[in-house]
Amino acid sequence: MPAAPRRGWVATWFSGPRRHQWWGLAFVLPVVVFFAVFSVFPVLFGFAISLTDYSLLDPPEFVGLDNYRNLLGDKLFITALGNTLLFVLGATVPVWAMSLTSAVLFDQAFRGKLWLKTIFFLPVLPPIVVVGVVWRMLLHPNGVMTAFVGLFNGATEVPWLASTVLAPLAMVAVHDWSVVPFFMMIWLAGLAGVSPELREAARIDGATAWRVFWHIDLPALRATAVFVAALSSINAFQTFALQYVMTADPGGPANSTLVLGLLVLKYGFQYFRMGDAAAVSVVMFVMILSVTAVQLRFNRRG
Amino acid sequence: MQLRRIARSVFTVIGLVAGLLSPAMAQSVTLKIWMHEHPPRIAIDRAIVSEFEKANPDIKIQYDVLGAAEYSTKLLTAFASGSGPDVFNQTASLLAAYYSSRILAPVDYAALGYADEKDMLSKYTGGFAGIRFQGKLYGLPTEVSNYACYTNNAYWREVGLDPVKDFPKTWEEMPAIAEKLTKRDANGVPRRRGFDFNWPSAGAYWLTINSLMHQRGGNLIDEESYTATFNNPAGQRMMQFFVDLVNKHKLGGPQYTDSRTDFLGGNVATDCSFGIWGIPQMKDAKIDYTVRPLPRFADAASDNGFDAYGYYMMVNSRSPSATQKAAWKFVRYYTDQGARLFKGAGLYVPRPEVAALATDADSKIFFDELAKAKFSPRVVGYAQVVDLLMRGRDRMMQGGEPVASVLPGLEDDVNAVLKRERARAEAMRK
Repeated sequence: MPAAPRRGWVATWFSGPRRHQWWGLAFVLPVVVFFAVFSVFPVLFGFAISLTDYSLLDPPEFVGLDNYRNLLGDKLFITALGNTLLFVLGATVPVWAMSLTSAVLFDQAFRGKLWLKTIFFLPVLPPIVVVGVVWRMLLHPNGVMTAFVGLFNGATEVPWLASTVLAPLAMVAVHDWSVVPFFMMIWLAGLAGVSPELREAARIDGATAWRVFWHIDLPALRATAVFVAALSSINAFQTFALQYVMTADPGGPANSTLVLGLLVLKYGFQYFRMGDAAAVSVVMFVMILSVTAVQLRFNRRG
Repeated sequence: MQLRRIARSVFTVIGLVAGLLSPAMAQSVTLKIWMHEHPPRIAIDRAIVSEFEKANPDIKIQYDVLGAAEYSTKLLTAFASGSGPDVFNQTASLLAAYYSSRILAPVDYAALGYADEKDMLSKYTGGFAGIRFQGKLYGLPTEVSNYACYTNNAYWREVGLDPVKDFPKTWEEMPAIAEKLTKRDANGVPRRRGFDFNWPSAGAYWLTINSLMHQRGGNLIDEESYTATFNNPAGQRMMQFFVDLVNKHKLGGPQYTDSRTDFLGGNVATDCSFGIWGIPQMKDAKIDYTVRPLPRFADAASDNGFDAYGYYMMVNSRSPSATQKAAWKFVRYYTDQGARLFKGAGLYVPRPEVAALATDADSKIFFDELAKAKFSPRVVGYAQVVDLLMRGRDRMMQGGEPVASVLPGLEDDVNAVLKRERARAEAMRK
């Protein structure tokens, strides 16, 4: 009896009992490789750099966790961390409230709703850098916003972006203006999933609009709320472009708008302290991961 | 048999061609040259490169101009990745880091065509202080410059002031004269500033505070001991003068567009942040101008104007030896073109034949001031130090914190950076 021809190992894998698994793996491999090269490797490389003293001009020198230890006493890091946390606060809670309120309003039927919704959505369309450039002009000390305020108090110059008090507030205001419509659309999608029968039944039972919202809409929006909270928090923690574009001196005046994203740039490409820049990046990564994990856990419990 | 004979013939021909080509290829050197962007200089650079290549057929040049804003970052990144240029220019204030990292090749007098350092220096009027480290020279000056003040004569005459006779000789006179030149709206907001410093530019701020500290008889930073020494009466008085200009006299401040841009745009009547290279820009902007020396403090301990600064042409120590020799040859050729650089781009290579070209009154003011000028300190960590100083300034000017409460902590912060960077630099040089 002639011996059966030997099959190669590739043919064996792809035609054996687990052939579906191997085919599946083959199909996802390009994406896995892409993700590994462009996402996982940079994260690991960034972590490795954070354990070194590296000035670009000289080879990296391993310093263990020194860069992290130094951050604890680093005034600039503490300033940037404080500014970032304040920005996150201003760029999340008011955004959730404003976007949900506007979503509830646009969920009602009224004349011209479509036009108004389109106009309301416009700030989301330009890239954030363009938003920053436009608002930098509007917030010129003698610009349009000053002229508007001047109608009420006669001011001809307001240092919107040159005052250590006003500049951080301006960043939050511009950020919120540009993202509220985006989150409103997400809330609207959530509201569209709320059963109209439930609302109707509640109304027949005599519930007011507020009680319908509080007892029917809001519990049904839990998953949407977690998504909005997670996305807006990540977005706020990573803020960089507005602070970079809007202030004459990125992070200024007097570091009042210096956020962690800008500190990474400053340490890396202004001071050429790559190890410290990477350590700040890792801290940012851990912070974002923690906040997101807490939010997801909250959703699961619900 | 036939095939073997053909193959042998082919290999013989290849061997002969390779043999003929290899010496020529071995001698040919390609130089990679990077320069920062100074628009009036670029056409002159290209002409010089072309002439040099014609005169030296064995040397090819790859010449690139990089935008001034990103020049330093690109240069450092290129050196980090091992693709740095063979020849490059850079300003003196940033050179300490390059020196510490051993990127700068010491001057090769033979390749330059000079007998020795003494022979080379005899061809120059000065300007090497910015490129000397531990007694050794690491490059040649392509531009030594200083700032002086420019007046917009139309604005000065409009308020009955003569830009020459009435220009303030002391800083104490400046606020009153600047106020006359300032146009304000009904709320007192300046619509045209009479005088302002160039606050937003790190380089201009560095030169300004160092120069004024010298006038006060102090040193912002001692380059030898790597110590900041501005939390003292001299430093406090200088900083209070700045703060008063902005917050008491309300003549300008960091919140406005930089004075250099606004002077050219007609929004500032007097600016002190242009070098001699500013003259062509005045002509382009159609400004009737007058050049005046920097005012001094009434009780100045030192009669100096702005500190000098220099751009130097240097050679990458990591380039192969033959490339370095060709690079120095180019550096010599380039720096011999001082007259062209001065006439066409307003850049002063400090050589007697170039100085002889500057006979007009404006140039004389620059050169007189240059003779009294010092170089601002060159320290590793310059970018961090100047950033700290600017942020400290903002706390006083825009945050309203008193000078006396900001300076002690600021000096400590600067000293901490200097200590750390010096230790790193010394470790690297070992």
